[in-house]
This record gives sequence, C-alpha cells and structure tokens, in this order.
Amino acid sequence: MGACHDRVLAALERREPDRVPTLDVLEEISNVYEILEKKPLPFGFLFSNPHTGRVVNRLAPLINRSHLFDREMDRFSHDRTRASVKMGYDSTWVMHVPIWRFRDTRTVVDIYGRRYDAGMDGKGNLATPMYREGLISCPQDWADWDKKDLFRLPERANRAFSRIQKDFGDQVFIFGAFLYGLFENSWQPMGFERFAVAVRREKAFIRRVIKFYEDHFCMMLEAWADAGLPGAVYTDDMAYRSGPMLNPRIMRELYSDAFHRITETAHALGMKIVVHSCGNVLPLLEWFAECGFDGVHALEPTAGVTLAAAKERVGDRMCLLGNMDITHILVDADRDEVFEAVRTSIQAAGHGGGYILAPTNSHQSMSVQRIRWMLEAVERYGAYPLTGGAGPAA
Amino acid sequence: MGAPGCVSGISSVKALFINGLYWGGTEAGRKGRVMAKSLKNVTRLVADLELEQIASVVQESLDAGTEPLAILQAMSAGMIQVGKLFEQGEYYLADLVLAGEVMKEGIQVLEPHFSMDAFRTKGTVVLCTVKGDIHDIGKNLVANMLTGSGFNVVDLGVDVHEDRVVEAVKRSGARALGLSVLLTPMVKSVSDVVAALEAQGLRARVKIAIGGACTTPELVQKLGVDALGRDPLEAMRIFESFVKE
Repeated sequence: MGACHDRVLAALERREPDRVPTLDVLEEISNVYEILEKKPLPFGFLFSNPHTGRVVNRLAPLINRSHLFDREMDRFSHDRTRASVKMGYDSTWVMHVPIWRFRDTRTVVDIYGRRYDAGMDGKGNLATPMYREGLISCPQDWADWDKKDLFRLPERANRAFSRIQKDFGDQVFIFGAFLYGLFENSWQPMGFERFAVAVRREKAFIRRVIKFYEDHFCMMLEAWADAGLPGAVYTDDMAYRSGPMLNPRIMRELYSDAFHRITETAHALGMKIVVHSCGNVLPLLEWFAECGFDGVHALEPTAGVTLAAAKERVGDRMCLLGNMDITHILVDADRDEVFEAVRTSIQAAGHGGGYILAPTNSHQSMSVQRIRWMLEAVERYGAYPLTGGAGPAA
Repeated sequence: MGAPGCVSGISSVKALFINGLYWGGTEAGRKGRVMAKSLKNVTRLVADLELEQIASVVQESLDAGTEPLAILQAMSAGMIQVGKLFEQGEYYLADLVLAGEVMKEGIQVLEPHFSMDAFRTKGTVVLCTVKGDIHDIGKNLVANMLTGSGFNVVDLGVDVHEDRVVEAVKRSGARALGLSVLLTPMVKSVSDVVAALEAQGLRARVKIAIGGACTTPELVQKLGVDALGRDPLEAMRIFESFVKE
C-alpha cells in the first residue's frame, strides 16, 4: 500500500501523518468525465430527446430487467475512482448505488420504496434523481414490498468493488459506500410527515424497519471487506440546517444499538468506518463518537458547523472530514479564496492530526478547476508539522 | 359591558379570562372560567404535541360553547410555544412537523363551524420551492408555522416556474414571498423569480425571503432578495416584519 494509505490511516487514528490527507466525494457525471477527458455515454440524450425518450418509455421494464443501468453504475463507480486517482486524492468515497429503476424518462423508483423525479444536470447528462415521495406508508406496504433487489445488492457491490480495489486500491484509500443509511431508509420511503407521526404511534414498525436495514448494512460491510476495501462510509443525513431532524434522545433510543453493531462489524472486519451526515450535526457528534465511528464527514459550514466546534467536542475521539464549502468556494471562488479556505480549515482542525480535508458534498455546479486549487493548497499548507500558514501563492 | 368574548380590541382568549374575572361568582363567570381553562388546555395540548387528544378536546370546547375563533387562537398560542421550544433546542424538526399535524387535527374539527378567513388576519404570504427543486420539508414547516399563527398562505408547491410565482403574487396581492431552495445548482431559479417580478413591476411591492440548505447571507445580497430565514421560526418573524412594513 502507498503513502496515501499511511496518511489516511494516521488521520483516522488521530495521529499526525506527513501531510493532511484529502478525500474525494465527487459523484457528478460531468465532473468525473471532465477529469478523465472522456465523453460519458449518452444516457442524457436518450432521456431528453423526445423521440428516443418515447422508446425509453416503452422499453423501461425491459431496461430494468436487463440491469443495463446497474451495469452502467458499475462502470461509473470504476471511472469515478480512476478520476480520484488522476486528481491525486489520498482517499475516495466511492458510492456504488445500483438501486434505481426507471418507470419512464421522468420517474424513477428505488429498491427501498422511494419515488424520484429524473432530470438532467444542465450539461446533457442524467442528474442524480431527486426524491419526491415515499411509497411505503404502512406496515402492510412494507411487508408487500419486493425486497429481492435489496438482497442482491451485497453480491453486486462485492463484484464491483473487487475490481475497483484491484485496479486502484494501491493508489488511493477506498471507502465503500451505498445509499441509504438507516435513518433515511426509515423515513424517506414513508415521507417525513408520516414518519414523524409513526415514531410516536408505530414505534414497533419503525424498529422492525431499522433492524432490517441494520442487518442489510452489515451484509454490505461483509461484501466490501471481502472485496478488500479498507474503509466504509456510513451515509445517512440525520440533520437539517437548523439541527437534527429528530430529537437526539429519540435518535439514540431508536438507532444506537444498530450503529454500535455496524461499527463493531466494520472494525471486526478490519475496516475503518466514517459517518456522513449533512446539516448541523453538532448536537449529534458525541453520540457518533460513542457509537464507535472513526470519523465524521460533511461538517457543513453553511449549516453553522465550524471545525473548531467539532474539534473541541469530539476531536479526541473521531477524525474530522470535510468542511470545504460547496456553495461558493468550490463553485465560483477565485484562487485566493480557495487557498484561504483550505488554510483556515487546516489551521482549525489539522493540529495534532485527525483531519481529512474534503468537500462537504457533490453537485453538478462544482468546478474541477477549484478542486485542483484545493488540492494544490493542501500541498502548500498541509505538511506536518503545521505552521501558521502564509497567504496564498500569487 | 358586552357578552363574554366581545371585548373590543382584545383577543377572544383574553376576553374570556377578563369576563370570567369580572362576572365573578355568577353563572356567566363560572362558564367563562370553564372556557378559559378549556382554552388553556388546548394551548397546552398543541405545545405538548398531543396528537391523540387534540380533536376530542377541541370538540369538547366547542360543545361547551367556546367561540371557534377563540379555540383557534388558543391553538395558535400553542404553536408559538412550539416555536419557542424549537428555538431553545428543546424541539426538533420532527416536532415541528408533529405540531403541524396537531394543528391540522384541531382545525378539521373547527372548520365546519366558522370561516378560517376570520383568523387569517396577518396578511398573505406566497411560498414555494423554486424551479428545478422538489424538496419541501422546510417549505411545509414554514407554511405550517405561518398558517398556525394567522397568515393566509398561498403554497404553490415544489418545482415552481417563476411565471407561476408572479401570477400568484399578482392575484393574491401578497406583500411577502418565501422561496425555498435546497440545492446550489437551483439558486439561479431564485434570480429568475426576482427578474420576473422586476419585469412585471412587482418587485417593489413584494419583499422576498429565501431559505434552504444552500442559502447564505452572501446569497441574499447576490440575488437581490431581502432576507434569509434559517429556520421556520426565523422565517415567521421575517414575514411578520414584511407585512408590517
């Protein structure tokens, strides 16, 4: 294994590596293929053109049965890992999500019971589908839901990640991931309004769903570990801009046992595991640490999360990952602003180790050039022992 | 002295308390006290998110002769307490949703008995999630808070084109507009709304607040809007200030 592995492992274990490591979270088709200087397959055209769109509409059931998009997902996950290597990242969070089934060119459902709107990314590619509503509104819906594709997911992940790890595992530290976490999988298939009431009135049902996905996640961990992955990201948005979506006391009551089992399983398999959640997670950080996660990602500045506050709360127990703004800094900031953002993040969280610099998320308006500046700035300011940091290069 | 509930310029809830005190030991006084106690109970049930009990207690209050408007104002007072508890970090997003459900249950019982227009006196707010974005949790919470506190809310839903926003502002005569946007790539849709309002000569008439995960104070300036609401309670205060101006 290369220097990147030592660097990432040191940070995850809150030791000082030779330099602050970096994590790639890029998941957008246009950006990945811009980096690779390749053209993506023309699925966007097929869906947006009225003539080909009509054909897609007619053939949708056949396309789903043929797993055409699942195979495209295998290929994309491989390509986006290649893009991480090409950019020079130390680690990459590879999302492998063969979960979507097209009803037509406008509507997508997933294997968990969500309905989405399909759409374009403004650059001629299919965008990540946008969640619209849940399809499982009661215990009977859940009992009736066809789960066979869920059970196939670990096998498919094992196959895809075995190849990815074999091809790139010595050049970049790979965190396996898929959608979705237990919290999102317990509320989104029924919608948040329904969930808020169900938590009060149908706790046993909610617990049953959580238990199912706890077992499922542990199977995914087994599949990733068998493929040789050294890390996993448990991705589950539990907070909103203003704070946790659910009372932390109820979060603990419902999800603590599952989270403990997930982290214990990962560690028993020799993997590191990082939790990702968007939003203001400050009130949840100590709980994440108690549950045994090695790191926490996103730490969104636009949700009011500062690295200083996170470091103070859990810096002695968890590695911090992320905090690079994706609303301005990695979208349309100038070079000086990007350098300054990197410098201040490293100064706030890098001392003593335990920080991996990364964007907070991924979307199609992010600029590859700004990401290059970000990585350049890490080379400038991230070498240990850290110094006060000079201004950005001219 | 008027009958209970008719004190000019004072809310019906306060009027019941005052009348109850004034009429002392009389039958009217006893009735006033019972009603006041019942309204306090309604407020508490909303504040405590008692979804299971609210409908029956609202019905009992109606049966006891309490004015529907007074009951709704008592529920609204409970909603304000919910907002305060949210602000203090005691309540969370799911609790706000639940509070909205409690309000809906209570309003369902009240609606056949009076027109909601009597309650919607604070002004009109047009709300939507902008074009290209279909996230609605934040928008719905703001709508719940506003409706529960006496605003007339015109909720246009999600993925709303700027032309529909302009049309709604024109028709409703609203002086306040709330635009929800979660995703950075959709921020441009806010600019499209601002431009469309300007083109129709409506921008000076309507004040705009934005909210959502990707919104920042910098964006407020950049997009030429008037305010940023970070949570539903802040949004409610902003809209209150908009309609007062």
